[in-house]
Amino acid sequence: MNKLPAIVTAIEGEQNLHIIAFDFQGATLKMMGLDLPKGLHVGSHVVLGVKPSHIAIGKNISGDLSYSNQIPATIQTLENGALLSSIVLHVGDTKVQSFITCSSSKRMNLQVGDKVILLIKASDLFVQEVLDV
Amino acid sequence: MITIDIDKKLLGSMGEMPLHVGISIENKSFVALSGQSGSGKTTLLRILAGLERAKGKIVVDDEIWLDEKTFLPPQKRGIGFVFQDYALFPNMSVLENLLFVKKDLTLAKHLLEMTELESLQERKPMTLSGGQKQRVSLCRAMMNRPKLLLMDEPLSALDPLMRNKLQHEILMLHKEFGTTTVMVSHDPSEIYRLSNRVIVLAQGKVVSDGDAKSVLLKTQGSQKFSFEGELLDIIKVDVIFIAIIAIGQQLVEVVLDASEAEVLHVGQSVRVSTKAFSPVISAKK
Repeated sequence: MNKLPAIVTAIEGEQNLHIIAFDFQGATLKMMGLDLPKGLHVGSHVVLGVKPSHIAIGKNISGDLSYSNQIPATIQTLENGALLSSIVLHVGDTKVQSFITCSSSKRMNLQVGDKVILLIKASDLFVQEVLDV
Repeated sequence: MITIDIDKKLLGSMGEMPLHVGISIENKSFVALSGQSGSGKTTLLRILAGLERAKGKIVVDDEIWLDEKTFLPPQKRGIGFVFQDYALFPNMSVLENLLFVKKDLTLAKHLLEMTELESLQERKPMTLSGGQKQRVSLCRAMMNRPKLLLMDEPLSALDPLMRNKLQHEILMLHKEFGTTTVMVSHDPSEIYRLSNRVIVLAQGKVVSDGDAKSVLLKTQGSQKFSFEGELLDIIKVDVIFIAIIAIGQQLVEVVLDASEAEVLHVGQSVRVSTKAFSPVISAKK
C-alpha cells in the first residue's frame, strides 16, 4: 500500500462528512471522509494511504477530469505480468505504486522515464495515521 | 441522578483485582455496561442492587443506598432486576409471579398487555419459551415501578428474532416508566439500538465512557469499516498478492502489493479496514 507523508492544509465539514485538503510534495491532495480521525487538525502531519489498484495513470491528458487528485510523476520501473502491470513511480522523493491492466499499459505505450499524471479519487484516499497526536 | 463511587476487592483469574467505579448516571438514561468476562460488570450490578456489599457510596437522588453507616437492603432500593436465567418462581403462574412483587392487578394486566402475554397469564413458567419467560421477568421487574432497572445480559440466551422483539419491548417499558436502566450487554447492535451511553469496564476499571458510536466504532485513521481477523494465507497471483483472512465465521480476500505481503505473516491477527465509501450493501436473500 502506498504511504504518502502529507500535511493538513484545510478541513471542510457538513455534519459528519468532511473534505480534507493536504499538501503532498507541493501538490494539493483532497480526501473525502466521515468523522475526522482522532487528533486531526489543520497543520497535522499525516501518512495518507492509497491502494495501488486505486491509482490510475494519465499520459498526455487533455480535457477536464473530475479526479480531485492529479499528481505529476515519473515512471521508475514497470513490471508486466500476464494480466496486470505493476508500475512504480516517483513523486518528488516518494515512491508510489500503481496496478493497471497490462492492456492499458501497452495501449498507452508506457515506458520507464515517462512523465505521467497519477489520478486518485478523493474517496479512495485515506488517512493511514495521524503522526503528531 | 445516581452517583456511584465504590471499591471492592475481587478475586479474578489473575489473582486479586480491585473493582473501582466512580460514575454519575442521569435519571431516565439507558446505560449499557460492557467489557470482557471477569471485568467486574456483574459485580457492579449486584452492588447497585444491594446483593453484594462494597466500600464507598451510592446515592440515588437524595437517598443514600450505601455509605460508611448505611446499607439499604435490596427490597428498599426501588430496583428491578432481570437476570439472564429468568429466575421466575416455578410453582406460580405468570400473573402470580408478577403479583408476588406487588398486589397491583391493574399494573400487572397492563404490563402483560404491553408485552402480549395476556393469553399466557395462567400458565406456569415451565410451559413457556425462553423469550416468553424473559418477558415475564421483565414485567415482574417493572411491578414496583423501579427507579433503577438492572439487567444482566437479559437477551443473551435468546435467538436473534426474539432478541429484536424484546429489545423493542425493553425500550418501550424504559420510556413509559421513565426508569433509569443499566444493562450488561456484549452485543453492539443491542447497545446501539437501546443505550444512550456505553461504559466499558476492564480489570475493574472504567476504560471507556461515551455514546455507542464513539465507543464501539472501530476505526483505523479515516477508515470506518474495520474488522479483526486471522491471516490464513497469502497467494501470489500475477504481479499482485491475495490475502485470505478469517473474520468471524467467514473468509474474505484482500488484494495486497509486494511490500504488504512481505511484512505480513500467515497466522497473525490482523485488522482489515477500508473507507466507508467502498463497501456495497445488498439485502440477504
